Amino acid sequence: MSASMARYACNSTEHTLSRRGMLGVLGGGVATAACGTGNLLANPLAKQHKRVLMVFLSGGVSQLETWDPKPGASTGGPFRAIPTSAPGVHICELLPHTAMQMHRLALVRGLNTAEDDHGKGHYIMHTGRKQEPSLEYPHIGSVAAKFVAEEENPLPGYLNIVPGGGGGANAADATFLGPKYGSVTISDGRAPENIDRPGGMDPQRDLARHEMRRAADQRFLARRKSAMTEAYTQSYDQALQLMKKKALFDVSTEPAKLSASYGTHDFGRHCVMARRLLEGGAPFVKISHTNYDTHHENFDFHIEQLAEFDRPFATLLEDLHQRGLLSSTLVMVVSEFGRTPGINRNYGRDHWSKAWSVALGGCGIIGGAVSGKTNAQGTVVVDRQVNGGHLFATYLKALGLDPAKKYYVDQRPIPMVDPTGSPISEVLA
Amino acid sequence: MQDKAKPKEAPKPPPPPPESIPGFHLATLKQAAELKNGSPLLACRFSPNGRWLYTSAQDNTIQQWDLTADKDGKIAGKKVDMAGHASWTRAIGFSADNKWLITAGYDGLLLTWPLGVPFPEPVRQAQAHTGWIRGVDCHGERVLTGGNDGRLAIHLLPDLRPGKAWQAHGCHIYQASFSPDGKFILSADLKGRLKVWDGSGQMVREFALSALHKYDAGFGADIGGVRAWSFSPDGASIACSGITNVSNAFAGVGNPLILVANWTTGEMRAELRSKEAFQGTGWGVAWHKAGFILGSAGGNGGMLWAWKDDFKPPAAPLKKDEKKEPTKDPKKPEEKKLEPLNEFVAQKLPDNVRDMALSADGKRLAIAYQGGVARVYTLA
Amino acid sequence: MLSPRLLLSVACWTLVSVGSTLAQAPPLAQSIDQAIARDEPRVASLASSPSDDLTFLRRVHLDLVGGLPSADEARAFAADKDSAKRLKLIDRLLASPDHAWHWARVLDAWWMERRPAKNVEAKPWMEWLRDGLAKNRPLDAMVRDILTVDGTDEKTRAAARFVLDRELDTHLLVRDISRLFLGANLQCAQCHDHPRIDDYKQEHYHGLLAYYQRTYLFDDPKLKKKVLAEKAEGEVEFQSVFDKAKKTHKRSPGVPGGMERKDPMLAKDQLYISAPTKEARGVPKHSRRLLLAKDLTEGRALARNFANRFWAQLMGKGIVHPLDQIHGDNPPSHPALLDTLTEGLLAAKYDHKALLRGICASAAYQRGGDAKPGQPKDAEDRLLVARLRPLGPEQMGDALVIATGFMDAERKALGAKATPEALLPKLEGQAAPFVNRLAAPAGNPDQFEARLDQALFLANHGHLQGLLNARAGNLMDTVLKEKDAARAAETLYLTVFTRLPSAEEKAEVARVLGAQDKQGALRDLVWALLGSAEFRFVG
Repeated sequence: MSASMARYACNSTEHTLSRRGMLGVLGGGVATAACGTGNLLANPLAKQHKRVLMVFLSGGVSQLETWDPKPGASTGGPFRAIPTSAPGVHICELLPHTAMQMHRLALVRGLNTAEDDHGKGHYIMHTGRKQEPSLEYPHIGSVAAKFVAEEENPLPGYLNIVPGGGGGANAADATFLGPKYGSVTISDGRAPENIDRPGGMDPQRDLARHEMRRAADQRFLARRKSAMTEAYTQSYDQALQLMKKKALFDVSTEPAKLSASYGTHDFGRHCVMARRLLEGGAPFVKISHTNYDTHHENFDFHIEQLAEFDRPFATLLEDLHQRGLLSSTLVMVVSEFGRTPGINRNYGRDHWSKAWSVALGGCGIIGGAVSGKTNAQGTVVVDRQVNGGHLFATYLKALGLDPAKKYYVDQRPIPMVDPTGSPISEVLA
Repeated sequence: MQDKAKPKEAPKPPPPPPESIPGFHLATLKQAAELKNGSPLLACRFSPNGRWLYTSAQDNTIQQWDLTADKDGKIAGKKVDMAGHASWTRAIGFSADNKWLITAGYDGLLLTWPLGVPFPEPVRQAQAHTGWIRGVDCHGERVLTGGNDGRLAIHLLPDLRPGKAWQAHGCHIYQASFSPDGKFILSADLKGRLKVWDGSGQMVREFALSALHKYDAGFGADIGGVRAWSFSPDGASIACSGITNVSNAFAGVGNPLILVANWTTGEMRAELRSKEAFQGTGWGVAWHKAGFILGSAGGNGGMLWAWKDDFKPPAAPLKKDEKKEPTKDPKKPEEKKLEPLNEFVAQKLPDNVRDMALSADGKRLAIAYQGGVARVYTLA
Repeated sequence: MLSPRLLLSVACWTLVSVGSTLAQAPPLAQSIDQAIARDEPRVASLASSPSDDLTFLRRVHLDLVGGLPSADEARAFAADKDSAKRLKLIDRLLASPDHAWHWARVLDAWWMERRPAKNVEAKPWMEWLRDGLAKNRPLDAMVRDILTVDGTDEKTRAAARFVLDRELDTHLLVRDISRLFLGANLQCAQCHDHPRIDDYKQEHYHGLLAYYQRTYLFDDPKLKKKVLAEKAEGEVEFQSVFDKAKKTHKRSPGVPGGMERKDPMLAKDQLYISAPTKEARGVPKHSRRLLLAKDLTEGRALARNFANRFWAQLMGKGIVHPLDQIHGDNPPSHPALLDTLTEGLLAAKYDHKALLRGICASAAYQRGGDAKPGQPKDAEDRLLVARLRPLGPEQMGDALVIATGFMDAERKALGAKATPEALLPKLEGQAAPFVNRLAAPAGNPDQFEARLDQALFLANHGHLQGLLNARAGNLMDTVLKEKDAARAAETLYLTVFTRLPSAEEKAEVARVLGAQDKQGALRDLVWALLGSAEFRFVG
C-alpha cells in the first residue's frame, strides 16, 4: 500500500493534533497504524465516509494535449511530453503542475466509448452506459448521493458547480433512484441566492411552515403524483438542507496564500468551493471547466484552457491530501470524448472517442498506475481497451461498492454497471 | 414588389475590368513553381536575394527550396529537409547579407543556419523563450524574437549571445519586428495590442487593434492576434492581418481583416475587408511597393485579395459644439469611423492558406498551403 | 366480435352520454375525440371520467387567460345549472381581453424565447401580438408579417422583431424558423445530412438559408434604426463535412419538401428597385426573402406544427415529442389526432380561437385526473387520464399574484379606474420576479425544472412574503376578517386551489385562525399552500 492509501481511522493520538499540525507529519506513513474502526468520533477524519470529485472538462479535451502525448508522431502536434512525479509516466508539457501530482493519479489510456456526439458522450461518461430508448440510467453523482452519503447528511448529495449563472441539470439525473438524488446546481461556485430565511424568521417558525407545506403535499400526492411533483417537493427540502450549511459558502475564511495558489478566475474559485463542500460532507461534487471543443486552432486554445486548469487542479489535489481527505475522495478528470489524432486544416482536432484517456485518483485508486495503451499515432487502442461501463464499475469498486449489484426498478433487476464493463483492476488498489 | 415606371436614365457604362497596376496582374496569377512537401506546411519566407524559399512543416522540419530556374525558365525546386527544432516553427528570418537563415520555434529555441548551402545544419542556438516563439526579425547583427511568454528578446549575430530582453506584453506575442530603419521595435500580441519601442527598450506608443481580438465568452477563450504584418514601402505604416467578427472561435467562424496604422504617429489609416464574406483567418499580408496590399486567408479554403494603398485620411473629427446630424454643408465634415475598404481584385486559391511571403524585389509571391504544397507565383 | 365501426359508435355514444356538457360540442371537438378513438380504440373503456366543474374551471382559466378564477367565480360556476356552461365559459374566456394578453405572452415565449430587445422594443411587439390575437387574425397571416416586414415602416415594424432581434444571424434564423414554425430542428443539417434522421438533410437547411442569403441588416441613416435590406446577388453553396471529395452543392431557396425557387433572369442593370448604397438600403426586383413567407405558410407543415404546439400547451405534451422533432423517425403518439387538428386548423383558416375552442371542448381535454383501475402505466401519454402538468412561468407568476389577492386589492384601490388597461400591467409587474425565476435562459424554450434556486426564491425571497401582507381586499385581509371559520376555509381553498377544503383542511384553518399570532400563522399557512405541489401543477 502506498502512502496515499493511508487510513485515518480511530482515535489515535495523531488526530488530537490540529489539522495544520498534521501537515508536517503526513506522508511518512504515520497514519498507517492499523486501527479498528471502533468509535466514530465527531472528527470527520475519523469517519470512513467516502466522497467523489468529478472534474469535467467540457467539449472534449484532447488526450494528445493532456494524458497521452505523442510528440514526434505526425499526429503529435507541437507540444512535448514531460516526465512526472510518477516514474515512467509522461504527460503533455501543458500540465506542469499536474505532472507533480501524477503519483496520486492513475491514467486510463485505452478508453473507447464509440460516441462522438457531445450529448451522447456526456451521457456515457455520467452514466456508464449508452443511451437506451426504454430506460434512463442515473448519473454516477446520483449513485454516489444515494449509496455513499451518510444517512443524516444534510447536504444534497449531488452538487454540481456550474460555470456562469443559470440553472442546470436537475432531478432528472437521478432517474429511478428518485429526485432526492438529482444534481443540485451551485451557480458559479457562489453561495446560492436567498439562502437566508425571510425577514429574520426564526428557525422553528420556518420548520413549522415547511411542515404545513409537506402536509399539504402529502394530501395531494396521495391521489396525484408524478416524477415532476416529486422533484418539486424535494427541491424545498434540499433548500432547507443547503440553508443549514450556509457557512460552507463563505470563502472569506480561506487563507490568502492558498487562495492565490488556486487563482481568482472562475475555475480556481470553483475548486475552492469544491474542496469546502467535500470537506463539509458533500458526497459528490462536480466542477466543470469550459471549453475544449477545439475544432479550430486546437493548440492555441489548449494552451489557454489547460493553463487555467492545471494549477488550480493540482492545488486542489494537494489541498485535499493535506487535509487528509484525498484517500477517501475518488477523483475523476473526464470529458465527453477526446480529440482526433489527425490535425485538420485549421490546426484543429475534431471529436474522437475511439482512443482517448481519463485520469482517476484518490480513494481506491493506485497513484501512478497506467492502464491501456494506444498505438504510435494514437489512432487505435492496442492494449486493454475499456468503455464507459468499465469506468463506472471502477468508480463503484473504488468507493467500496459492489459493481455486480443490481437496482430494482418496479421489481425489475437492472445491473448497476453495463454488462460489458468490469472494474479496471490495474488502477484499483 | 411593384414594377414602377422608371424615369429615363442614361445607360450605365459597362463595369470596368479588374484593375491592373503596372507590372502586376493578379487576375492572372501565374504559377512559377509548385513545391510538394510530405507534411502540411506552416510558414514560408524568401531569402533576401530571392534565390531560396524556406518553408516549415508540421513534422518539425524546415525545407530549403532552390528557386534557380533552368535554361527553359522552369524552377525545379530542389528540396533539402532541415531538422533542428523539437517542435513547429513559424518564425523564419534572415540576416540582410544573405549569410544566415534564422529560425525560431515553438520549442522556444532560436537557431541560425548557413543560408543556401547543400547540407544545412544549425550553427548556433539560444533558448530565447519559455514556450512558443512566434515572431522573429533581424536588423544588422540584432535578432529580435517575441514569444508566448510575453517577452521580447534580442540576440546578437553571429553567435547569438544574449542582448536585451524584457517583459513586453501580458499575453502571447504574435509578431516582433524592427522598423525598416532599425531604430524602433514593434511587437503585437493576442489581444491586438501593438507596441512601439525605442532602441533602449522604452515603449513610445501603444495601439489597440481591438477588431483583431475577441474573448469568446461561449467557449471561455481569447482568439485573435496579428497573424501577419507588413511595413509600407516608406516604412511609416504597418498593415496588420488577423481574424475579426468571430461568432464561434472554436469553429473558426470569423472573417479576415487587415488594419493599417501609421505606427510613427499613432493614426489608424485603413480597414481592409473583402467584398464577399470569407470564413477564415488572415494569415498573410504583404505591402507591395507598386501601390497595393496583398492579403491572403485560410479557413474555408484559401483566398488572395489586393487593395489599393491610396487610402484617404479619415475626415477631421467634429468640434465639441457641432451637432452629430447629417450635415448639408459639404465644408463641415462629419466624424467618421474608418470605412472598410474592399479589394480591387480577388482570387480563389486551390487550398487552405497557412502563410504568404513576398520576395524583396516584389516580383514573386509564395504561399504555403495546409495540404503540404508551397506555390510560388510570378507577379508581373 | 364487434366491428371497429360499431365499437367506435359505442365509444362516441358513451362519451356523449357521460358528459352531457359535450352534447353541443363544436364539430372540431367531436372530431378530436373521434380521432383519439381511432388511435386508441379502447379509450371508451379505459378513460377516466370527466373532470368535475371546479377542476375544469381552474384548468381552462389557466390555459385560456393565464390566471386563476376567483372564489366567487368558482362558487358561481359550480352552482350554475346550465348544461352548456362549460362551452359558454370557454367562449367567455376567449372573448375576454385577458385571453389576448396571455396568449401574446405564450406566442412571445414560443417565438422570441425571451431574447432581449435589440432593435425592436418588447412593448410594440407585445402590442402587435395582443392586437392580432384580440382581433383573431389568422395565425398564418401573423407569421407572414413576421417574415416579410422589413422594419422601415414604424407602423408595422414591431412584427420584424423575430428577425431583427436575432440580428439577422442567418444560421440562427434558419435554425429557429425550422424549429419554431416547422417543428423541425435542422441545426445538425448545416454541416451534413442529419446522421440519424433521414428527413433532415443539408439541402433542407441550405434551402431555407438561401431565402436569407442576400438579406443584410442596414443601419438606416435617415430612420436611425436597423432595417432589413437585400442584395440581388449571393448564392448558397455547401459541402458535407462527411464528404471526403468535398463536392460543392448549390441550393436555391426552398422549404423542406417544397419546390426550389429559381431566380428569374434579369438584366444586370435591371436587378434593383433601389440599388444598395451607403445611404439607402438595397431593394431588389426579385426578393428571395419575401418568397419565404409565401412558401412557408402554404404547406401543411406550418399548420401541423401549430396543431402540435397548441395541443402541447393545453395538454402538457405534444403529439410529437419533442416539439421540434417532427420527422419520419419520430412518429406522433396519435397520428389520427394530429391529422385532425391539422386539418381542423387549415379548415378554420388558421383561426386560433377555433382551435382552442375545439380542444377545450373535447372530452380529451376535459378528462379527469383520477386514475381508473385497470389503466395502463402510460395512461397520461395515451390521453386516458388528464396529465398532471406544471404551470408555465407566466401562469405561475399570475397565479401567485392572483391567489394572494393582489389584484383584488388593486381593484378596490383603483375603484372606477380599475380597467383591464390599468390592471394588467400591474399584474405583469408583480408577476415578473416569479416569471424571471422560472423562465428558461434567453434563447431556450421554457421547460420545467425543480431547481434549488427556485425553491430558495419561493421560500425565502421577500417578494412573495410581501404579497402575503394583509392589505385591504386581498386574500389575507378577506380571510382574517371572515368571522365564520368554515367560510374562511372555503374562501381560502377556492381562491388558492379552486376547490373546497376537506374536513382535515377546514380543521387546520380553524386552528390557524384561533392562534395567538393569527396573522403570522395564516400567512405561513397561505405560503405553505402556495408552495405545495398542488399549486405548482394543474391537471
